[in-house]
Amino acid sequence: MPDNRDLQLIRRKVRDRSVALVLVGTVLLMPPIGGLARIDGTIFGIPIPLAYMFGVWATLIIGAFLLSRPLRDTDKPSPSTSVAIDTDE
Amino acid sequence: MISVNLLLVVCLGYVAVLFVVAFIVDQRARHRPIRWLQSPVIYTLSISVYCTSWTFYGAVGSAARNGLEFITIYLGPTLVFVGWWWLLRKLVRIGRAHRITSIADLISSRYGKSSSLAVLVTLIAVIAITPYIALQLQSVTNSYAVIAGDTDGVTTAFWVAAGMALFTILFGTRNLDANERHHGVVAAIALEAIVKLAALIAVGVFVTFFVADGAADIFEGVSQEAIRGSSDIFGARWVTLTFLSATAVICLPRQFQVTVVENIEERHLATASWLFPLYLFGITIFIMPIALVGLEVMPAGSNPDLYVLTLPLSEQRNELALLAFLGGFSSATSMVIVAAIAASTMVSNHVVMPIALRLLARTNAVSGDVRNLLLTSRRISIALILGLGFLYFYISGGSDALAAIGLIAFVGVAQFLPCLLGGIFWRGATKAGAIAGLLIGSAMWAYTLFLPSFGGHFILTPEVLALGPWGISLLRPQSLMGLSDFDPLVHAVVWSVGLNAIVFIVVSSLTKPDILERLQGTLFVGVYRSTGGAMSNISAGAADAEDMFILAQRILGLEPARRLFDEIAASQGITVGLPHATDAVISRLERELAGSVGAASAHAMVSRIAGRQTVGMTELIDIADETQQVIETSRQLAEKSAELERAAEQLREANLRLRALDAQKDEFLSQVSHELRTPMTSIRSFSEILKDSSVSAEDRARFVAIIYDESLRLTRLLDEILDISRLEAGSAALKLEPMNANTAVHSAVETVAGITLKADVKVTSELSPDDLPVCANADRLRQVLINILSNAVKYNGADVPEILVRTSHDNRTVKIDIIDNGGGVTREEANTVFEKFARGNRSVRSSGAGLGLPISRAIMHAMEGDLTLEFAPDHSSYFRLTLPLLKAA
Repeated sequence: MPDNRDLQLIRRKVRDRSVALVLVGTVLLMPPIGGLARIDGTIFGIPIPLAYMFGVWATLIIGAFLLSRPLRDTDKPSPSTSVAIDTDE
Repeated sequence: MISVNLLLVVCLGYVAVLFVVAFIVDQRARHRPIRWLQSPVIYTLSISVYCTSWTFYGAVGSAARNGLEFITIYLGPTLVFVGWWWLLRKLVRIGRAHRITSIADLISSRYGKSSSLAVLVTLIAVIAITPYIALQLQSVTNSYAVIAGDTDGVTTAFWVAAGMALFTILFGTRNLDANERHHGVVAAIALEAIVKLAALIAVGVFVTFFVADGAADIFEGVSQEAIRGSSDIFGARWVTLTFLSATAVICLPRQFQVTVVENIEERHLATASWLFPLYLFGITIFIMPIALVGLEVMPAGSNPDLYVLTLPLSEQRNELALLAFLGGFSSATSMVIVAAIAASTMVSNHVVMPIALRLLARTNAVSGDVRNLLLTSRRISIALILGLGFLYFYISGGSDALAAIGLIAFVGVAQFLPCLLGGIFWRGATKAGAIAGLLIGSAMWAYTLFLPSFGGHFILTPEVLALGPWGISLLRPQSLMGLSDFDPLVHAVVWSVGLNAIVFIVVSSLTKPDILERLQGTLFVGVYRSTGGAMSNISAGAADAEDMFILAQRILGLEPARRLFDEIAASQGITVGLPHATDAVISRLERELAGSVGAASAHAMVSRIAGRQTVGMTELIDIADETQQVIETSRQLAEKSAELERAAEQLREANLRLRALDAQKDEFLSQVSHELRTPMTSIRSFSEILKDSSVSAEDRARFVAIIYDESLRLTRLLDEILDISRLEAGSAALKLEPMNANTAVHSAVETVAGITLKADVKVTSELSPDDLPVCANADRLRQVLINILSNAVKYNGADVPEILVRTSHDNRTVKIDIIDNGGGVTREEANTVFEKFARGNRSVRSSGAGLGLPISRAIMHAMEGDLTLEFAPDHSSYFRLTLPLLKAA
């Protein structure tokens, strides 16, 4: 059974990852980075811009899937959080 | 060709299935909750009302015209759901804690349960979604026309609208409480979500692998323009569209309804965070292939918006075309049903209810009368909203102007974003700011986007569109202030949402929130902090329990009201009769009512019976608590740092002392080696001389004597050093015994009599007549006395040297003074005489190593006494030995 400090560390890590996922996703999908994929040519018969967009999208879904369980579990309030100052906001 | 009759049968059959499913589920859920309906998968499927017929048909059309651009409509929601932890979770938590019934309710509740704000939001929402509903009617009509040939579109649209109204009224207004899920509707929506996904994927697979020969075949020879659009799409419009879709998935009333209001467990969001994006991914994956194949295969001039339907038809796959039609039909109907429920809740709670409140006061109270009134108003609202949608469709004549309506609605509801986000993340947001922002934002939206969408046929004339009102070109709706380089959509978003946000922030920071706003702001922003449920008893006046019960049964109905009050009474320990109307009960009642009629109305009604509007103590404490918490935290921090400072100061002092001690030790060592060196040097040099055999016997004897003396001195010195270090370390515990100090003094004076006589020093003793009992070591005390006496003899430079030895005592101590007339030491020297190796400057070099006094003092300390240098009134100095007086037992 990990102690409380460990749990809080895990929580913070998971939350940080979820922010990072959204930020990275946004940057990759928006111009100018998103526009860099306008390259002629195909991957497995699919034009590169199309493959790129759907690829990033699929990665986001997989990332969200991997993070959903730890985030869901960390949501349970622990007795100590009422004492600690909540840094959520 | 599919016959019209078959199409009708299939359509009606499908609708019948929906009705039956909804009916059965509703009936069963009444008796006991249905497990699978409570699952996160059903929750996610109901969120998919996001995909309307605009997705089902329109996305392919968009892909055919603008390439990849269609994807932005699904990227925004994906990002919002992937980041659910930060926004959606908070919305859901607030929605559940405050029993929020709609987005208008959330905003009004946040800004002090303001009913004017609720009305404003409701109005904007209805204006924005009415055309959106019309769009759904149009898509059903168009798709029906494609299959059935030329038909009367208006009749079709009318029957569709009527059918949907009937369904929504039947299953969407079963109960008043928005927090109780509409089980039948949810089941039907979930079914429709599966149908539309399956239909689109079926068409996609058919087109990709049967019409074309796989992906490679479709994309072969496709120009870059087809993918990225004729003009470059990766620009401002791309960002704007993503922003709008992200906003819409939060702010659209129907999305808010399914995501926040109908959420039963917060953890379902975690599943939806990846499952909903996956659903979107699945529904869009074949959009591009369908569009490209359609462009290739279909005759020029055919409507790309209907490729999903016309492609199977042109390939003679009637059953697939029917499935596609049903998919489009599902997406349209599910959107219409949920949008109508959401809008009717807002209209009845925020527009009808305040009016009803006025009438309430005058009529006689009948159990459930308000409930019935509200349910009726909700039913009428549904009919009205669908009627409005139909009317809009009828007036616009099903023109292509409708195609852009989806985005126009998105921009309309995006006006809620600033006050929504500000409301849940910024405590300083005020009602005035929210109203000002909403007004300016929606006005800009109407002027720059909504009205121009009619192409000059509604309010704004073509001349105004082209030249600006009164010919002022700076005011042209689509290039306001001369901003003409932008896409009209980007232009409208920048002006409406931008101004909205700025005005909201500026006005909020300039105005002061009233107490209820401040309270709600604190509760909303700090929703994770709240203990849950303890809120909103804002009307803690003197309420009568009976009045409260009457109010509750008018709104909830007799049975639910009785159950609620029984429960409250039981919690108060009352078995028969009504509960006491405490603050907590009033707040509980208001919260329960808010779940049915919205926060503003519930607040108004409870305040009416509870009398004057005062803020309950608990809220003030709640607000104060938070301030207190901050103060407490900073106080603790200050205390901690002061403590640290003190510790650091102590450490510094200890360090200084250690350094001083270290320096003393070094000095002592160098002095010791110096003192040892002197006798050693003479011993060595005389030994060297003796090695030379030419020394005479006489000299030899003399030299040996010197060597002997020096080694004695050396031994004595070493003994002294050992002695003092033992005494100082406290390891040489002295054996103490009771004795008379006078005796010790007497014997010491006798011992030194030899040298005093030799030096011709007169020693006088003035001994106290009393016995002076002390606890001491006789030998050591004698050693100290002899040492000081011999010093006095040795260093006395007076012509007639005299020494006075005097003993005295007070209550606690015995004093032995040794006074000589040799001049003593000055006050400056007084500090150094007790240092090791120090000698009085009046002395000539003698055999003493300068350890006598330090040793004496160490001995006195070991006997719990002291050796000090005292000064007489004439500034001459003398030594004083003190010892504790031994009290007679």
